[in-house]
Amino acid sequence: MKKISLITLFAFIFFYVNAGTIKVVTTLTDLKSITELIGGDKVSVTSIATGYQNPHFVDPKPSYIISLSNADMYVTIGLDLEAGWSPQLLSSSRNTKIQKGDAGYVDASEGIGLLQVPTAANRAEGDIHIFGNPHYWLDPLNGKIIARNIANGLERVDPANKTTYETNLLAFYKNIDTKMIEWQAKMAPFKGTKIIAYHNEWVYFEKRFGLEVVDFMEPKPGIPPTPSQLVKVINEVKANNIKVIISSPYFSTSSSDVVAKQTGVKVLTMATSTGAFPSVKNYFDVFDYDINQLIGALK
Amino acid sequence: MNLKFKSIYICFICLPFILLLTVESKAQSKTDSSAAADSALLKQVEAQMASAPAEQPSGTQTRSSLSFNPDIGVIGDFQGSYISKGEKNFDMYLNETEVSLQATVDPYARADFFISFGRDAITGKYGVEVEEGYLTTLSLPFKLQLKAGKFREAVGRINPTHPHALPFIDLPNAYVNLFGENGLNDEGVSLSWLLPTKAFYQEFIVQTTSGFSESPAFARSQGNHLVYLGHLKNFFTLSDNATLELGLTGISGPNDSARTTNIATGDLTYKYKPVQMNTYHSLTWQSEFYYSHNNETENVAVNAIGLYSFVQYQLAKRTFLTGRYDYGEKPYNSSIKEQAYSLTFGWYATEFSKIEVEGKTTEDNTESRFYQAWFRWIFVIGAHGAHQY
Repeated sequence: MKKISLITLFAFIFFYVNAGTIKVVTTLTDLKSITELIGGDKVSVTSIATGYQNPHFVDPKPSYIISLSNADMYVTIGLDLEAGWSPQLLSSSRNTKIQKGDAGYVDASEGIGLLQVPTAANRAEGDIHIFGNPHYWLDPLNGKIIARNIANGLERVDPANKTTYETNLLAFYKNIDTKMIEWQAKMAPFKGTKIIAYHNEWVYFEKRFGLEVVDFMEPKPGIPPTPSQLVKVINEVKANNIKVIISSPYFSTSSSDVVAKQTGVKVLTMATSTGAFPSVKNYFDVFDYDINQLIGALK
Repeated sequence: MNLKFKSIYICFICLPFILLLTVESKAQSKTDSSAAADSALLKQVEAQMASAPAEQPSGTQTRSSLSFNPDIGVIGDFQGSYISKGEKNFDMYLNETEVSLQATVDPYARADFFISFGRDAITGKYGVEVEEGYLTTLSLPFKLQLKAGKFREAVGRINPTHPHALPFIDLPNAYVNLFGENGLNDEGVSLSWLLPTKAFYQEFIVQTTSGFSESPAFARSQGNHLVYLGHLKNFFTLSDNATLELGLTGISGPNDSARTTNIATGDLTYKYKPVQMNTYHSLTWQSEFYYSHNNETENVAVNAIGLYSFVQYQLAKRTFLTGRYDYGEKPYNSSIKEQAYSLTFGWYATEFSKIEVEGKTTEDNTESRFYQAWFRWIFVIGAHGAHQY
């Protein structure tokens, strides 16, 4: 009886605490992290994908529809990153507040300076994105644009708390600017360093921190490494004295390990999103983790 | 049509219009509100104008041009087949070309069309048909969604899935015995309700169709006898990596004896797909059970059962192995029983092409065991939407 009363009390407190908060569903954990930083205690946020999951291939499980059907706001990376699962979930949600064009729909890519926008759409080039490379959140300065878009969305659905969101947004900008000085100082000695990446998802990170990705383990985006590609990469590693292959938590490292065995190159599994590893708890941690990993390997 | 059917029919047809009127009247009541509401609206407009997005840095590259054209895709299905009985044992053909056109109509609905250029298995001649063509609402209240047009009906897991997306080339015997090679795919309306269950996903679907596309179990009525269907879908998240789906379906409709056939089905699907490495390994175990009660005359009814169960294991990123068991009784003569075993190997080159090879052995109590094999190559150009999970 005592147990039941306690559970009831906790349930009451939980619902009381969450009452009146803006319910936000994001596609990725980085969007969740930024929304929580901008929204503070005015929002309750859930993310569909986990931080260690390939964002291109999230299974559209019906269970996601439950949270989407009750959401006040939906935040998406856009640029077709989630094309295989987001539209289906949205149209099944029966929620008129969060459909494309509604006040509660936030495309975080609005205003992003896009890289690798193809001049022709041709699948012979592999799994390319016709609007441009969608992994833009891996540049911390793009994080500021994402945050602005999220704040705009929150102010549309909850204009009463505009001041809070604007205050939190300015604090977020300030934190990014402060951390950028630290991150760029750490990466400065490695400017121009050549590296290999598993998949073409680091272009924004590469440009921001002055690295040079000379090739990929995948011969074309989305195509698994082939023996001839491994030979090509091995030759490139040897010719350029490359020290690191960077990969992501959702890719097998077996082919990178082959190259490592042949050349002595280090294979680093980097964080592509918040929650990729237990220590990567928010958007800032993604860059702390990755930069510390990189400088450790490149020294 | 008896009074009961007539009442159900009238209610079902009227319901969507009542719902649309509800939406309309809700909107109307908002605009008819007092000046106080206008003032609140004005404040909201002012607040939103004040929070208008600050000027963003312009993109370094421009985005692709936009258009209102629907997403267009074409799916080719090239097949080769072998059968150990009869005179013609080998064959090769472009089994189907499917053209899909999909887009949002307006803020209230989306439309999906699938035009099939298919080959008749007996004559070998190609014909065109609208495989599916339907409108789905996006803005009904009370978590409702209405679909109208021609669509694959909500029977279990196989029927709503387009054949090219199935992990085997042929269809399970029990399914074909009841619904035929083209499945239960008919013209009518469908209303689905997302139940407010928080602990797990629950959806209830009711559909009524004309019975135009005939199947072994159902036939088009000369009178006003329609096909009615109810489906309850329950989806449980067991862990981040595992899910379970349990579905229950009931169907009632006219048969070729101008009487009623009632069918009950149950489907159970377990999926294990590790979230972190979901593109490398997965396991699916899916089963469906069918029971049909076919009233042939006033005093004679045939009861038949059937089932299939398959396990699909993903061996590596691009390779899949599927083993399936079938058992089926004919809905018009349950003394004819058949059993089959099949094994399918699939190589999924990319999201847009796959090659599959299947071997199958079938035995029934009217003829000796025979063997079949198929090869199929599925390829997609253009846009292609996601399939059901």
